[in-house]
Amino acid sequence: MINWANFISQVFNGLALGALLALISSGLTIIYGTLGVLNLAHGAMFMLGGYAGFVAYQATGSYIVAVAAGALSLLVLGILMERVIIRHFYGRPHEDQLLVTFGLSICFVELVRFFFGSESRNVPPPGPLSGVVSLGFAIYPTYRVALMGIVAVALVVLFLVLYRTRLGMIVRAGIEDAVMVDSLGIDVYRVFMVVFGIGAMAAGFAGIVNAPVVSLTPEVGEAILVQTFVVVVIGGVGSFPGAVLGGLIAGEIISITSMINPGYAYVMLFAAMTLVLMLRPHGLLGTPGRE
Amino acid sequence: MNADRLYDRSPRFVIELITAGCLVAAPFVLPYLGAAPNTVNRILVWGLFGIGFDILFGYTGLLSFGQSALYGTGGMVAAYLLTRAGFPHVVTALVIGMVAAAAVGYLVGLVALRRTGIYFAMITVAIAEVFYFVEFNPLSEFTGGENGLPGVPTPRFDLGFVKLDFSTGWSLYPFLAFCYFLGIVVALRIVRSPFGAVLRAIRDNPLRAAAVGHNVHGYKLAAFVIAAAYAGLAGGLLGVMQAFMPPDAFMFETSGQLVMQTAIGGRGTLFGPLVGASVWLFLQDFLQGTLGLGASWKLVLGIVFVLLVAFLRQGIIGGIRDLVRWLRHRAAPVQEVAAEEAAPIVPADRHVAPLPAHAVSHGAGGEPILRASGLTKRYGGLLANADIDFAVMQGEIRGIIGPNGAGKSTFFKMLTCEVAPTSGTIVFEGSDITGRSVTDVCQLGLTKSYQVNQLFNRLTVRENVTIAALAELRGKFRLDMLRSLLNVKGLQEQVERTLALVGLTARRDVPVAQLAYGEKRRLEIALALASSPALLLLDEPLAGMSPRERVETVGLLKSIALGRTMIIIDHDMDSLFELAGRITVLQEGRVLVEGTPEEIKSDAKVQEAYLGGVNEDLAA
Amino acid sequence: MSNSKHSPTRRDFMRLGLGAAGGLAASGGFIPRVFAADQPPIGTFPAGVSGSSVFIGIAVPRTGTYAVQGEDELKGWQLAVEHLNSGHPLMKQISPKTKKGVLGKEVKYGVADSAAKPNDAVQAEQRFITENKAVLMTGSTSSAVAVALNKLAQREKVLYVTGISGSNDTTGKDCVRYGFRQNFYGQTAAAAIGPVIVKAYGKNKKVAYLTPDYTYGHTVTKSCQDYLATAGWTTVTNQVAPLGAPDYSSYLLNVANSGADVLINVNWGHDAVLSTQQAQRFGILDKMKLVIPYQIPFLAPEVGNNLTAGVYAATDFWWTLEDKFPLAKMFVDEFRKKFGYNPEWGANNAYMSFAMWADAVENAGTFYPPDVIKSFEAGRKLQSTVGEVYIRKEDHQCVRPVIIVQGKKQAEMKNKEDFWNVLEIVPGEGLMQKPDAFGCKLGDYT
Repeated sequence: MINWANFISQVFNGLALGALLALISSGLTIIYGTLGVLNLAHGAMFMLGGYAGFVAYQATGSYIVAVAAGALSLLVLGILMERVIIRHFYGRPHEDQLLVTFGLSICFVELVRFFFGSESRNVPPPGPLSGVVSLGFAIYPTYRVALMGIVAVALVVLFLVLYRTRLGMIVRAGIEDAVMVDSLGIDVYRVFMVVFGIGAMAAGFAGIVNAPVVSLTPEVGEAILVQTFVVVVIGGVGSFPGAVLGGLIAGEIISITSMINPGYAYVMLFAAMTLVLMLRPHGLLGTPGRE
Repeated sequence: MNADRLYDRSPRFVIELITAGCLVAAPFVLPYLGAAPNTVNRILVWGLFGIGFDILFGYTGLLSFGQSALYGTGGMVAAYLLTRAGFPHVVTALVIGMVAAAAVGYLVGLVALRRTGIYFAMITVAIAEVFYFVEFNPLSEFTGGENGLPGVPTPRFDLGFVKLDFSTGWSLYPFLAFCYFLGIVVALRIVRSPFGAVLRAIRDNPLRAAAVGHNVHGYKLAAFVIAAAYAGLAGGLLGVMQAFMPPDAFMFETSGQLVMQTAIGGRGTLFGPLVGASVWLFLQDFLQGTLGLGASWKLVLGIVFVLLVAFLRQGIIGGIRDLVRWLRHRAAPVQEVAAEEAAPIVPADRHVAPLPAHAVSHGAGGEPILRASGLTKRYGGLLANADIDFAVMQGEIRGIIGPNGAGKSTFFKMLTCEVAPTSGTIVFEGSDITGRSVTDVCQLGLTKSYQVNQLFNRLTVRENVTIAALAELRGKFRLDMLRSLLNVKGLQEQVERTLALVGLTARRDVPVAQLAYGEKRRLEIALALASSPALLLLDEPLAGMSPRERVETVGLLKSIALGRTMIIIDHDMDSLFELAGRITVLQEGRVLVEGTPEEIKSDAKVQEAYLGGVNEDLAA
Repeated sequence: MSNSKHSPTRRDFMRLGLGAAGGLAASGGFIPRVFAADQPPIGTFPAGVSGSSVFIGIAVPRTGTYAVQGEDELKGWQLAVEHLNSGHPLMKQISPKTKKGVLGKEVKYGVADSAAKPNDAVQAEQRFITENKAVLMTGSTSSAVAVALNKLAQREKVLYVTGISGSNDTTGKDCVRYGFRQNFYGQTAAAAIGPVIVKAYGKNKKVAYLTPDYTYGHTVTKSCQDYLATAGWTTVTNQVAPLGAPDYSSYLLNVANSGADVLINVNWGHDAVLSTQQAQRFGILDKMKLVIPYQIPFLAPEVGNNLTAGVYAATDFWWTLEDKFPLAKMFVDEFRKKFGYNPEWGANNAYMSFAMWADAVENAGTFYPPDVIKSFEAGRKLQSTVGEVYIRKEDHQCVRPVIIVQGKKQAEMKNKEDFWNVLEIVPGEGLMQKPDAFGCKLGDYT
């Protein structure tokens, strides 16, 4: 006895959730795929993008400026982080890289808490996008619909950069074989720096455009981080299309499960991840043999 | 406790005695330093939790962010038994909790260990979150949901002549200290055992550990279960200590705190987590209380952690050890053996009896020891090896040459089963080994020395060979955790023999990092040799060597060829022609020609393959 | 931990005298003591009271989801301590025997961040007990912490008064002899707000619930469902969301499509803020009426956009009660003078809890915990910021009114803190369950 209106609206909502996850996960997957570093601070970067945008919004009152601030500040932070810290860890075992990014994530969260406190902060959606729109099967906040569009555009831009520019080609080559790219005389370190910056920017951008949907607290990145892992595992490490597909699947799992038993949405996500791991360990669109 | 040394040279039980001494002295000394009994108890529980984690992470190299799941499981099972189920004996409940956690750890490990490194870490994060959720909601009747299980009793022993009642504060300390001491004693035995040695090999080079014949997955799973057991016991003790089993034991933050504490204290030291916990809890109280930092104490801790990970890789204990070493060097400078001056190989090692090769199961005459038929390997559109037929007789030394891209290394990888062929079969000593694992193949007597050194970089020469020899003597998996490494029968013999064969006896206690390149190559061969293979493959053993080193190595190879079969890939044709009885030439994935060195030298097809068909007149 | 072998000192005689006086002065069921030897060492007594000051341990969330409410509570305690030490008239109204300090001793306190985690709270309080010899513990915003500290109090034999705690269990199945609660809780909230919304919206309505997935949430939802069923209200959906969920869209879509007339949001803290804001964005608040059965301090300003206009809520205290109760006015004035804003109910709860403790100790004439407990249980009526209250001895729950408020529209707000209109002050007696209905079994005195 399915309520069809509800079902369709949940499927739609799943796409909205999934698109956002796809964007964040693409950032994580290209960083990991190219540098081999799993950025445990990715969730914190998502949060930082939101706060950077919040500060910009407080100063200027403009949503556009806020989004730009969120994205660009994370681009800068990503590049800085790679140059100052991550770079020194390439020769070190993976575990050390995990530890340092984990430590950085804690520092970021506590720094934000130090400056902004623990209460939630609000960034309202821009005027024309606030309010609701009737989609026939459901009433839906206009901004969320717009958000899907914004994220889709961002994903397309990311796709174009990765697949239609020279830099993108180098990045994808680096994902396949960084040593080879190095042997070809291309400055791999510069590529790494740029990739880290782009990945961070994707997270930061997602953080600020998502801020009007959920309010900002220092902890907002933590749950996102775990979901991002699940998406990357499902989609396949290092695969941009995998991140997109994985994100959409994850979004749908969350919303459809909530129709049946709202409490279990999270668990279903992990169950899906476990299933993928058992049956197709390299993920849906990943390359076999990648660690 | 130095994780890098397999052979513990300190007098027996020194560490255990010191630990016991410190634990006994603590309640008398620590109050003067301002330590509250409950804090000390907490540190002990974290320390115990961390011992298992250190075995998993510091010794086996598996970074798990999911230990909280097992900590909570053990704690909840024990607390549930003691509160809701009305179980009377505290210690038995703790043991049951520990066993439950170990069982759950086994199941979790089956899922999580399917992947390595970073994937593994991600999965453990997810597991921690799932367990937290499950504990909170569906199982809340058993776990008390967000309230946890209150009313956990403290242990009471009625020994007839005396009643021991451990309640709280310093009164509970002896019980916890005893548990910790037991935990350390057992852990020390584990890391000093052959099992522990293999764990360290896995940490350094899991690929090679598998290739020398160890069932890497089995060892990892065992380490995971051990860590789970420690976590479960610690969880139970947490409940007893607080008279209350909290749900936050399951939170991801608990795992995170454990990881940070271990890294701060020093991983691979067993005592690192205890030191890390002391630092953490001390800083938490000090920063909040004395400095009045309020909520930002965690920021300070985070910064300290990042700095330690960046600069003090072995944490505080490692830093102290380095400091001591540096001071000792300043006090009495030691002449370091010049690394450049590699020990020359004594050529007359023929007097050393060759290691007995595996008994050949099929008769010596007639049947080849190895036969590959129709061996093909395709990578997407690229055909690396095409339809290779290849056979080697027992006792032969076969050489394989070919221009770059001929598919020689891929061929070797298929022979050792590191890579599965797309089609074709391989028969070794009469049995079909196609599609088996590299570990099994090694145990059967087929090993390889690698083109790029695959050594256990943090171990010494002797320790490296020990790892390989252990697989030979113990089979691919054995849970001999409580046995001492020195008690493995025949181990020392095997190791010494192998070292003698490759002429590294004088350098046996030198860490790999200090070896000259030529010595490393010899060690590489020794690793393949230590399991007494019947068939030994050598992938470019002479690569990168100086002329003098080449001569020496050729002599070495001749001496180890006694009593076994060898197949050698190399580009140095002069040396290979000297060594090998027959040569196989590969080109573009196929066998071009096969014959004696003389035949090959004068073969036109070979010259064309190498020179691209220049002047036929130049043929010798 | 203390040496009971000491020759009788001036202190002992004072205690004797006070004990006798207290025993004579107090009413009902109070055993007069004659000898100091009747007060063997227990918990932190007498070590914690041997000096000129006594110590109170406070574990409150200063980080995490409930940090905002935690800071407000903390200020209530701080004000109470200040008033106790100075013998402030407001304090004397509530605890008439108070002169300066408590039994003449200065009150000191220590604060630790519990981050609303039971483990951290227990750890901090254990330190306060062993190092500072705390004679009283307090602090909680999450009922999980309250329950954990209840158990700790009973084990360590140190008194505990809860901070904010809304679960039925705190004075229900997890009650303890050494724990006391001042504020309202799930049962009384549901029983108070039920009739109000039935009157406002009519019978036989369809209800959707947003429930946070832990026992506080489940018990409040259940209490509401039980009461409303008697007026023919049916539950069309109960959306259970995990604590700290960032996005309620899936749950809210289910609610939107459920055809409910009323949405009862049981979420707390930041979860309540988020779910309410998102509910508005999904157009739910245009279709259904929102009810908050257990109000969250600072909900209205955090949620913004005047989303609370017209919303019915049940709460423990609201500052406009200053117009109705003179003590409330004094409290609000003093608080605003010191901290610059009007107190929320967490601060009021904190202040009142300390005042009630001071009163109990003064009446017992000693800090000896079993006597203080009996003093609490004596059923004395106190004047509070919401009228007359007393502690029920069977479960240590304070019997006190529940305040029903309704959110004001922007236009009606007279100043920027004027969010709620006090509609009703429902007396507590009729709202509470029978003392043993939730399985409360108080433990031993010693």
